[in-house]
Amino acid sequence: MNYLPAAGLLLAALLGASAHAAAPVAKIQAMLAKPEQLCGRFEQSKQLAGMKKPLASSGRFCVVAGKGVLWRTLKPFPNTLRLSRDEIVQLQGDRVAMRMEASREPTVRMINGVLFSLLSGDLGQLDTLFEVDGTAGDGAWKVALKARNPALARAIGAISLEGGAYVRTIHMVEDSGDRTDIVFSDIRTGPGAFLPEEAAQL
Amino acid sequence: MITHRRLAFAWALVVCLLAGHNAWLWLGKRVNPDTDILALLPAGERDPVLQRSFTHMVDSAQQRVVVLVGAETWRDAVRAAAAFQAVLRPHADLLKEDAGANAQAAWLDGFTPHATLLVGAADERALRTQPARYWTENALARAYGAFGGPKLGSFRDDPFGLFANWMQERAGETPVRPRDGHLYVGGEGREYVLVTYTLAQSAFALSAQRRAVPLLDAAAAAARRAVPAAEVIEAGVVLHAAAAGSQASSEVETIGVGSMVGIVVLTWLTFRSVRPIGVIVLAIGIGFLGALSVCWLLFGRIHLLTLVFGASLIGVAQDYGLYFLCHRLGAGPHEDSVRLLRRLLPGLGLTLLAAVIGYMGLALTPFPGLRHMAVFSAFGLVFAWLTVVCWFPALIGPGTLRRGWLARRYRALVVRWPRVSARPKVLAALALLAVFAAVGCARLGTDDDIRSLQSSPQHLVRDQIKLGRLLDAPTPVQYYLVRGASDEQVLQREEALKRRLDPLVARGDITGWQALSNWVPSARTQAERLALLDATVLAPDGPLAALAQTLGEDRDWVAATRAHLRDRAKPLSAEAFLRTPASEPWRHLWLGKVDGVHASIVALRGMRYAAIPALSRAADELEGVQWVDKVGGISAVLGRYRAVMGAVVLGAYALVFLALLPRYRGRTWRVLAPTAAASVLTLAILGLTGQHLQLFHVLALMLLLGVGVDYGIFMQEDPQRGDDAPWLAVGLSAASTLLSFGLLALSGTPALRAFGLTMLLGTAFVWLAAPCFTITAKERHEATVTA
Repeated sequence: MNYLPAAGLLLAALLGASAHAAAPVAKIQAMLAKPEQLCGRFEQSKQLAGMKKPLASSGRFCVVAGKGVLWRTLKPFPNTLRLSRDEIVQLQGDRVAMRMEASREPTVRMINGVLFSLLSGDLGQLDTLFEVDGTAGDGAWKVALKARNPALARAIGAISLEGGAYVRTIHMVEDSGDRTDIVFSDIRTGPGAFLPEEAAQL
Repeated sequence: MITHRRLAFAWALVVCLLAGHNAWLWLGKRVNPDTDILALLPAGERDPVLQRSFTHMVDSAQQRVVVLVGAETWRDAVRAAAAFQAVLRPHADLLKEDAGANAQAAWLDGFTPHATLLVGAADERALRTQPARYWTENALARAYGAFGGPKLGSFRDDPFGLFANWMQERAGETPVRPRDGHLYVGGEGREYVLVTYTLAQSAFALSAQRRAVPLLDAAAAAARRAVPAAEVIEAGVVLHAAAAGSQASSEVETIGVGSMVGIVVLTWLTFRSVRPIGVIVLAIGIGFLGALSVCWLLFGRIHLLTLVFGASLIGVAQDYGLYFLCHRLGAGPHEDSVRLLRRLLPGLGLTLLAAVIGYMGLALTPFPGLRHMAVFSAFGLVFAWLTVVCWFPALIGPGTLRRGWLARRYRALVVRWPRVSARPKVLAALALLAVFAAVGCARLGTDDDIRSLQSSPQHLVRDQIKLGRLLDAPTPVQYYLVRGASDEQVLQREEALKRRLDPLVARGDITGWQALSNWVPSARTQAERLALLDATVLAPDGPLAALAQTLGEDRDWVAATRAHLRDRAKPLSAEAFLRTPASEPWRHLWLGKVDGVHASIVALRGMRYAAIPALSRAADELEGVQWVDKVGGISAVLGRYRAVMGAVVLGAYALVFLALLPRYRGRTWRVLAPTAAASVLTLAILGLTGQHLQLFHVLALMLLLGVGVDYGIFMQEDPQRGDDAPWLAVGLSAASTLLSFGLLALSGTPALRAFGLTMLLGTAFVWLAAPCFTITAKERHEATVTA
């Protein structure tokens, strides 16, 4: 049959990131708040291979159970990534820069699921794709994810998460040398967490 | 008497030789009959390149078993699939699991040196139309985005995402995705694990079918035990072949047992003994062995279909035995069997001659398949006939047979039978029949579509269709064959063809295509593309420079990135691509050099059958591009076989007429008329019941000629004696033909059904019509006088 390993790499690429530690997943799960919806601010710093300066950006993100993820970069220029059950859309201003539909790209649902789990710290879900290794202490935890599938591992590199009731930071180190650090702040939950324009977009 | 004893002894020697030769063939050499239908096609029609393309597309599929194990959740699907695989794993000698998702290590490496040149269709259009700003913004979004769209390698490897988009376009050619070390397909609310196996033997090998199918069933059962709601969808030629085989063998069992019992009862009621059956089976058996030996000596091979059809044609040989037996029954104890045989010899000789003439007509056709069958049947008849002549007088002496209940009652039937004559009532009846025949025949259409001959079980067809839909697999029997003087020319021609196909995709005739040029553009296209990139994204003061300015990088970075990208723009050749692991799923599309010509296949996904004419036209005027429709091709061959066979049947009638002329003179037409009339009436009924004439109807008409001529000869041989032996022989022969071939009309296999129905109607009509054309001694005398 004809198949395409490349598509697995697509998934890897969307996640983009290596690290290790021991796994009291249940303990971490118990620590995490599991809100229906959560929004907050992020500060992101990327260090791309071959570039001197890190690229800093910031914006807002929302995660809604059963619906998807909205990732809005506001600085240095607006860019929105919306992941819903049926599609992944990237908007540059008003222009659709990229759209992947689940009907044509079955992995869209999977990508959506992984990103949702990543941002909401749902380690139970991530467990299907990754070996989860970590430590949990007083109200804070730290885990490293290692993809179970070698090809995926090769492409993603390593992801590590830190948090408490919510995920606080994500570090991604890709085999290619590009690295990304994301710090979350100002996290709100409940229906009021949304900004009006965000509610409209998701 | 003495001479005949010597003859019987000599024949015993010949039979020993035949038995020895056969034992050596089957037990010593262990010959296997051919099963490949293509082996029966005319050799002259085989275009080697076309033939190779069939092999690539169909034969590779022939050895394949594709399995989807699905469940509501991926986790369950994986569990069920693991149970399925575990059952088959110890049997890798029979069904070998393909590498699947684990073959992807270092997958991308093959593309790295060429990545810059690999640009998808949409991006290529954008490169021609979008301003530099578009590309700068695009690159910025990718640089800053945490999850910024598909990405392969680091940012500087593909700042504009062209390579990633190209890869996504390629991924679009199949919905199959690797997932957690498995191959995944989703659809219709389920998640499936795809597992493929390669069968070690031909799908048509009986031993493979017998082992593979129960194993697959056991594996499916294991999957369902692991996950009760699991769905297992299987497809593979071997499943269809096995289903067809088991259907055929169960039918042969029921129909065979039914007809055997019928014939035994019939013989008992006629002769009060089953010995006649024993000797007739002996004659046919020797005929079969003899035919097989001769065929092997002449052709060095034997085809399964030859055996099946040939064996049925040899069945005609029962008539010789029955003719003798009925006369033995009628002759009484005073006449010894050898003298009786001498008396019957002219009639027996002519029946053999007529049948052999008929079958030899087949041998003159350009089809090896028919030629084999002709030789097989003709020699089989000769051997069976010789057995009757050499051995029957010795085996069945006077007083061996007694007139049974049926033989006593049956005679009375024929006395009041209507005769063909010039009486007005008879003429009116004939005219009515003629009109009926004309109307019926006029309505008879033809249908040579191979698909109408398929009779796979519903669940297999359903699985096949569902699997095709879930996998969006290309059709293996319709495709384009592209030829050229070099790889480059082939790729260029593929690209020209694909431009022609674009509108067909837009119209929904096809959803897409698979072609090697999707992966390896022609050198010309690669050169044009590099020039395009140099003029746009790689231009010295283009998007890269603008990007550097925004990101705070200097000119050195621009130069280094540009050099890096240029460094990854080495021309990619088909040959190099085919060496990479990434090409594994596409290798069947590339035929390489065959007979000095380079060739490839462009396969179609999501094809609508209604679009076949449009697809065929798309290849028009494109040099080196040929539309191949294997279903249509085989159907066309079947159609030609049908037409040729029709002509052969007519020719056989003419030849048989000439062969009979010296003996029967003015009465010759009376020998052939019952068969001819029965054939026409059969065709008329087929027409009136809305059946379409196909090859197997015509093959049955050929057999009917063999059977019918015998009846005609028997009835014409000695009407002056007022003997009931011929009539009894015809009745017994017809009844057993109806039981053996006529019952095939109940078969679930369309080809056998067509064959059986024709035999059923035809034999019944010949039986009914044979006495109508006999003449009394008085009439015969008058006829001779007037002549």
